[in-house]
Amino acid sequence: MKMRKLSFEVVGLGLVIVLNFVFLFEMNLLDCAQWLSALKRMVIFAGDLFPPRWDILPTVGPALWETIKISFCGTSLGFVLSVPLAFGATTVLFHRKIAYVIRFLLGGIRTIPSILWGVLFVVAFGFGASAGTLGIAFYTVGYLAKLYYEAFEAVDHEVVEAVRATGCNRLQLFRFAILPESANTIISQIFFMFEYNIRSSTIMGFVGAGGIGYYLLGYLQMLQYQHLLTALLATLLVVMMIDYLSLKLRSWVVVAVPKS
Amino acid sequence: MINVNPLSIPNETQRNHSGYEHLPLLRASGLWFNYDHQGHAVEGVHLEIKPGWVTMILGRSGSGKTTLLKLLGNILKPVRGEIQIFKGMPNEKIPVAYIPQSLGLVRNMTTLDNTLMGALGYTGTFRSLAGFFPKEVKGDAQRILTDLGLWDKRQRKIFHLSGGERQRVAIARALMRKPSLILADEFVSQLDPVTALEVLTMVRTLARGGISLLITTHDVGLVTKYADRLIIMMEGRIIYDDAPTNIPPEEMLELMR
Repeated sequence: MKMRKLSFEVVGLGLVIVLNFVFLFEMNLLDCAQWLSALKRMVIFAGDLFPPRWDILPTVGPALWETIKISFCGTSLGFVLSVPLAFGATTVLFHRKIAYVIRFLLGGIRTIPSILWGVLFVVAFGFGASAGTLGIAFYTVGYLAKLYYEAFEAVDHEVVEAVRATGCNRLQLFRFAILPESANTIISQIFFMFEYNIRSSTIMGFVGAGGIGYYLLGYLQMLQYQHLLTALLATLLVVMMIDYLSLKLRSWVVVAVPKS
Repeated sequence: MINVNPLSIPNETQRNHSGYEHLPLLRASGLWFNYDHQGHAVEGVHLEIKPGWVTMILGRSGSGKTTLLKLLGNILKPVRGEIQIFKGMPNEKIPVAYIPQSLGLVRNMTTLDNTLMGALGYTGTFRSLAGFFPKEVKGDAQRILTDLGLWDKRQRKIFHLSGGERQRVAIARALMRKPSLILADEFVSQLDPVTALEVLTMVRTLARGGISLLITTHDVGLVTKYADRLIIMMEGRIIYDDAPTNIPPEEMLELMR
């Protein structure tokens, strides 16, 4: 029995490795000449990036600030919309049919990447940060609501039973048992989503939905690689700072609740 | 320490406090229940609960005692049979309170919040959602928590409390429903003997106040000391229903094996 299980694992791993080689070969990634010429081009490109042009910072700064605003408002708006949707998608609270319809809808929202939502809202609202914010918000709803209803479903069923046995209604059960029991997940996922959204909103500008992305794409298309490097460095710095701040805030806000 | 009267089993005159003792509180007739076609968890149970009694249900794991409790607490719906709850008792506002085995307290909320949750069934939705409970409700909570020796710990979160204290918070939440009957699943089985004694002494005091208790257990020692009435369950059926003094402890142990 043990032998058979082991050989099954070996066959599985072997298959994964073989498939990788086949696909990589098809993509010319196993060709040494290809790698060499790529390396050469990369070196030339890297040379073009330097020196950075610090004089563009006054232009890039406000665009970065806009990116932060897009992800901040997008995350907040997404959060506000995701809680009631997750409430409706929880089978502990609602009939399966209702919950699954909402889950299906959320799945649909998630299939569309935030950049495509951005395109849709550019069509509706015109170029600018409003389209980016709504794009981020929609994507956030799809994800947060899923993470939340899963957390709501995972609340200890004896807590739910005990509070339900007080004769309370759905809203009360949600407010007094399910929300407090999943508070930590709710909060830490907001921070996670905000960090994630900062990254996705940097490319929102590619489709004219506001923020630093507009300049990143512009510099790239106009072959202004020194400008591009400067904008990228500034973006990197801001993203790292926000990641750090968010980490600190998260560990300050989320209280460790012992299991027992 | 909890401030309660010394332990004593109520005699017949003590039980005659309410004037309703000739009526059962609750009558279950012909209850059947099964979980997803896996045989029957409860098979044709008949049961009457009288006011002011401490009834213990003894049985092995899987004997159906928790399922029976959940049926009586309206948490599960019986496949067949019915449960009647008789009104007219002094505290009939919401007559049945249920305490699950793990107590079901919300761990990162305070003692007071968890106690107030017992009043959700008769507090307006929007007031309670905003966290505003009527004055009378807050007064009741203060009285109950003081009686149970928990008022000083009202702002403590549940995960900071000891096992015995959590047990008392669960009782406080149950009492907020103003119940005539408290259903408690494996109530003191996770406590050390001294704390278990404290909690059960308190339970006896409640019973003298007219509240009936139905407690499941697998502890034979507990039954002989604290129960007025013993129900033994086996494979979903009641096989014994009488005073615990009418069955020798050895036989109880034999049935539990």
